[in-house]
Amino acid sequence: MTAIVRPRPMLLALGLVLVLVVWLSLALGPVSLPLGETLKAGLRLIGLPLEGDATQQADLILGQIRMPRTLLGIAVGAVLALSGVAMQGLFRNPLADPGLVGVSGGAALGAAIAIVGGSLVGGLPAAIEPYVLSVCAFAGGLIVTAIVYRFGRSNGQTNVATMLLAGVAMTAMAGAGVGLFTYLADDATLRTLTFWNLGSLNGASYQRLWPLLIVAVAVALWLPRRAAALNALLLGESEARHLGFDVERIKLELVLCTALGVGAAVAAAGLIGFIGLVVPHLMRLLVGPDHRVLLPASLLAGAGLLLLADLIARLLLAPAELPIGIVTALIGAPFFLFLLVRGRT
Amino acid sequence: MRKKILLACAGLLFSQLASASDALPQRWVSAGGAFSEWVVALGGESKLVGVDSTSQYPRSLHSLPGIGYQRALAAEGILALRPDILVGSSEMGPPPVLEQLKASGVRIELLSAKADVPALQQNLTTLGQLLGQQNQAQALLSNYQQRLQQQAAVVKQARQQHPAPRVLLLLSHSGGNLQVAGKDTLAAWMIEQAGGQSLGEHTGYKPVSSEAMLALDPQVILLAGSRLQGDAARNALLEQNPVLAQTQAGRDGRVLVIDPTLLVGGLGPRVPDTLATLTAAFYPHAKTLSAEAGQ
Repeated sequence: MTAIVRPRPMLLALGLVLVLVVWLSLALGPVSLPLGETLKAGLRLIGLPLEGDATQQADLILGQIRMPRTLLGIAVGAVLALSGVAMQGLFRNPLADPGLVGVSGGAALGAAIAIVGGSLVGGLPAAIEPYVLSVCAFAGGLIVTAIVYRFGRSNGQTNVATMLLAGVAMTAMAGAGVGLFTYLADDATLRTLTFWNLGSLNGASYQRLWPLLIVAVAVALWLPRRAAALNALLLGESEARHLGFDVERIKLELVLCTALGVGAAVAAAGLIGFIGLVVPHLMRLLVGPDHRVLLPASLLAGAGLLLLADLIARLLLAPAELPIGIVTALIGAPFFLFLLVRGRT
Repeated sequence: MRKKILLACAGLLFSQLASASDALPQRWVSAGGAFSEWVVALGGESKLVGVDSTSQYPRSLHSLPGIGYQRALAAEGILALRPDILVGSSEMGPPPVLEQLKASGVRIELLSAKADVPALQQNLTTLGQLLGQQNQAQALLSNYQQRLQQQAAVVKQARQQHPAPRVLLLLSHSGGNLQVAGKDTLAAWMIEQAGGQSLGEHTGYKPVSSEAMLALDPQVILLAGSRLQGDAARNALLEQNPVLAQTQAGRDGRVLVIDPTLLVGGLGPRVPDTLATLTAAFYPHAKTLSAEAGQ
């Protein structure tokens, strides 16, 4: 697999596209604000004293609704795409997806426990209620990933193939758990669960945003430092070891990054499929397998694609909105098929 | 600034209408089928600017912008409708969206979705005040209560002559598995109010095996969610679920179709009519009484 385009212009182009999509995400929405008002509200948001006609409403929509939502979209998209690169590098398989180590399944189980369990015990204290779902989803993802990782360990070594199979088995078990809670759910909680499984950036607020932002920044700074090790892993584990990389440590770091990143993303926005699988794959086709380019390219493309999908999700059926998981799959899957077909001929 | 303009507009409107001194909300969004029906019944249909996915009745609401499912509302989408007020049950959400709406000056009015008369009384009083139709709300409420009392009397009398029929309510969505209404559902409440005995022992709606349905041996089957009506619905149900034909209801052909939008969101204006119809069907030999109830 060789690069179709040279890395530097490609990164620059992706960066520009992301800036454009961020602008669209801030400027467009069901409430149509004049471009000038959006611009002024944006400048006021960063502290410039400017007056406008629709001051209050524009500030509110830009500052409290679109801005947190856009930040959430950037963080979720970037983290999912980076985790996808990490997993595809770890398993040396372009079809690997962050869900493979069980983090999505575990998070879904955690969410099901929170949503259905919460209503079964008759409601939770009001102070913790808004956070229970996120915390349970995050914890569920981490716990299941830890179990999967543990299964892969023997004699101080991590067997990637065993881990993969353990991930499949644990995901199936978590699925059974979700099924059980689905059965126990009443109508209202059932709908909540269904919607959560399709993901949404709706209802983003700064309080819920900052844990994810911290994790996203950490993952985005950490993973690129392991680009050389990921490149060496492409050659094979023993080759990487001979090149002087601490392969066991790298594997643990990659799994940890994915568990933390995807766990936090899922806790904030629900299950959003396809970004983690399609974006790294797509970027590999475009910029080649060198992780020093692949990681930043996937970060930019993941954030951009997710924001774009969110724009469609909130504009298509306005004033209602579509769960974003439907849009990412609807964009991602046909594009993926197109690439497969084109690659074959 | 915007609030001032809004208040000024509202004030102008009201001075023209020579109505209540308070500035009543003029642009309504309703997130709940029964609530929308009550708003319409109180003459507020022209004030509705958006409804949720459960507001399916009256059919004229279909032409309004849909805000989606009540538990997955979108702040900006609703703001785009420039509403003064959003009414819905406590199930409405997600909470951050409600906060964003509140912050931008939309009044959030939580009503109860419980299926009992005190909750209905509260809801109607609130809606009546907010629509400036206190008297009409009071009239609707006393009429409603009166009809429920009549209904109870009819059922009591019918029960002295006949035992309560065993009733099973089946929810079916385009040929999927049949779900049976159990305890704590509006369906069970309506069956009991209409003088039947609801057979579902579980809570909520759950799939029940054909064999279990045969064992329950219902005398009347209520079918919700069918596209078909009357005999066609009955024949389709018995054809797809031959086991049901072996139950008493199947043998006697006592399968009734009811509108599934009646079963969500608390007591709506159509409930007394439906109860009267159900009672008439549950006690076919007590004809004079059920005719009285249908008035």
